[in-house]
Amino acid sequence: MSELTHAPAQKRFIGGQLLGSSQLVLGAILAVLCIAISIAAPQFYSEANIVAILRQCALVLIVASGMTMLIITAEVDLSVGASLAFVGCIGMAVLNSTHSLTLGMLAALAFAGGVGLFNGLVVTRLRVNSLIATIGTMMMLQGGVYLFTREAVQNHNRLASFTDLGAGYVGAVPVPVILAALIFVVAYVTLRFTTLGRYLYAVGANEKAVRLSGLRSERLKLFAFVVTGLCVGVAGMILSSLMNAGQPTAGRGFELTVIAAVILGGTSLLGGRGSLFGTLLGVLVLKVIDNGIIILGWNQDLQMVVPGIVIILATYLDIIRNKANVR
Amino acid sequence: MSLASTASERAQPSMLARLFARQELALLVCLVLVLAFFSVTIENFFSVRNMTNVLGQASLALTAGIGCAIVFISGEVDISIGSLLATIALPLIIIMNDTNSLLLGVGAALLFGLIIGVVNGYLVAYAGINSLIVTLGTMFIMRGGVYLYTGQRAIPDDASLDSFIALSDGRLFNIIPYSAVIAIVLLAAFGYMMQHRPFGRQIYAVGGNQEVARLAGYDVRRVKFICFIISALLATVAGIILAARVGSAQHTAGLNFEFQVVAATVLGGVSLAGGIGSLTGMALGVLILQFLSNGLRGLGLPTEWQLVITGMIIIAAVAFDEAKRRRANGG
Repeated sequence: MSELTHAPAQKRFIGGQLLGSSQLVLGAILAVLCIAISIAAPQFYSEANIVAILRQCALVLIVASGMTMLIITAEVDLSVGASLAFVGCIGMAVLNSTHSLTLGMLAALAFAGGVGLFNGLVVTRLRVNSLIATIGTMMMLQGGVYLFTREAVQNHNRLASFTDLGAGYVGAVPVPVILAALIFVVAYVTLRFTTLGRYLYAVGANEKAVRLSGLRSERLKLFAFVVTGLCVGVAGMILSSLMNAGQPTAGRGFELTVIAAVILGGTSLLGGRGSLFGTLLGVLVLKVIDNGIIILGWNQDLQMVVPGIVIILATYLDIIRNKANVR
Repeated sequence: MSLASTASERAQPSMLARLFARQELALLVCLVLVLAFFSVTIENFFSVRNMTNVLGQASLALTAGIGCAIVFISGEVDISIGSLLATIALPLIIIMNDTNSLLLGVGAALLFGLIIGVVNGYLVAYAGINSLIVTLGTMFIMRGGVYLYTGQRAIPDDASLDSFIALSDGRLFNIIPYSAVIAIVLLAAFGYMMQHRPFGRQIYAVGGNQEVARLAGYDVRRVKFICFIISALLATVAGIILAARVGSAQHTAGLNFEFQVVAATVLGGVSLAGGIGSLTGMALGVLILQFLSNGLRGLGLPTEWQLVITGMIIIAAVAFDEAKRRRANGG
């Protein structure tokens, strides 16, 4: 079970021993990107632009934190994009009728957590492959959100605290970035320093062995699904605050961006291998590319092409590096 | 693997016996139930006109579904087919507008499809990258490429060749849409290949147990490589039919198409794990979903409900199938 011996990898990070860490390729890509873009466009390194990049990272990073856990347990959730839109609409509707941020937030978390629970139960109890189960949920949510509302749920509550959720600052740091950082740290600590995190890796690496050693593998997977759902709940509320409305069409393709970031970060779709630090790098790479394309004044449609190339290239380089290490 | 070898031994008993032993029967019963339900509740549902219309609508998913099922059976996935539909429409329409020749347009489209299949197949089979990652990547690249090239505008079919338009509304003997005829012919040809040709058996073997297949002397990489090419070419055919139907190259063509096809294929009993399933099952899966959406529309239900119900049915069907399989395995 070499996958489980990933622990020292992070410690080697300090002191130039980066070589051999699975984040090497990604870190290099990120560095090259930053240097290249700032040579071509010096305003890349302005404070305003860095804050803008971080803000754009926040939404993806929040959901990717949960998704990393889920993919480490060898499952996947394609319904997060559809759920994101639905959550935004529901949260906004509850806010409008109750004028309470707490209740709106709770409603959003309850709904998104419920979606995660449903996905988790279908996968663990009914044994439906998670790719298919969550395509099914995605369809139900896409249809469901239009049954719930045909048009955007506008912001009628004018709660300052709600607007701050997406657009506010603490000092120079946007609120979404702080939320993303909090969620990331909690998820990071859970995965790396707790028994629960260990078990999540173990389930993904060898579910049978985990079951035979007396752990309830289904519970662990269910946990990862619900966590992913809750992350979507937070992200959905931030998104509706940013757009000042609950948009039923929001989140199209969001699931693919999130999964791309996680995969780019070196988390294996087969489970048992991966890290949140890699996911963070993955999100940064994708968003720096997005930002660079805008700053350089290139055609924005490149924002789809370049990440596609990067995902394939990064995975390929990782394979080559692994082969070299084996030799 | 076991499935591949037993499939050949079991080829002797009667068709009927084979059918009953397999899950296609359950799907057939489902299809009949769907047909019966809507025939009772909707007037004119069970008319030749409506049946052939639905068949025509299903031809896209049927054609692309063959490739999807074959790639699944080989133990991989291909989710780039939706973007491929939009991509190959560009050379098709542009060349036809320039040359007024259907043949050249289709040739250009197939060439593009071939290149895409070679790229996908090479990256998966020879570079060894996970197929979900590869096809997710090429899906992004192709969709972005189409947006870039077209500036997010549709390119209309100015040539308006009769032969091209016939692809969308022409009917064989004035009954069956040509698109359905194409789908059925391809289905029969590839169905024969999968069940009765050595290459088909190799695909089952590779998907069932790659290591055993390798030890048995099969060129696993080559088999997978070819499966991706087949998938891309069949999706190209579907893309040509779609372009004929909408009369233009649309940059948004085929959005979410891959999910529909994957859903229908899995509903048809083709396992994502590889080595299990048949093209007949896939076809029944496509037909069930298509008749369902047609029937629900006939009942006056909004499209949103169709999505919700389709989603539920996919989950229920796979869950049921899984429960049956577990009981059969005694666990």
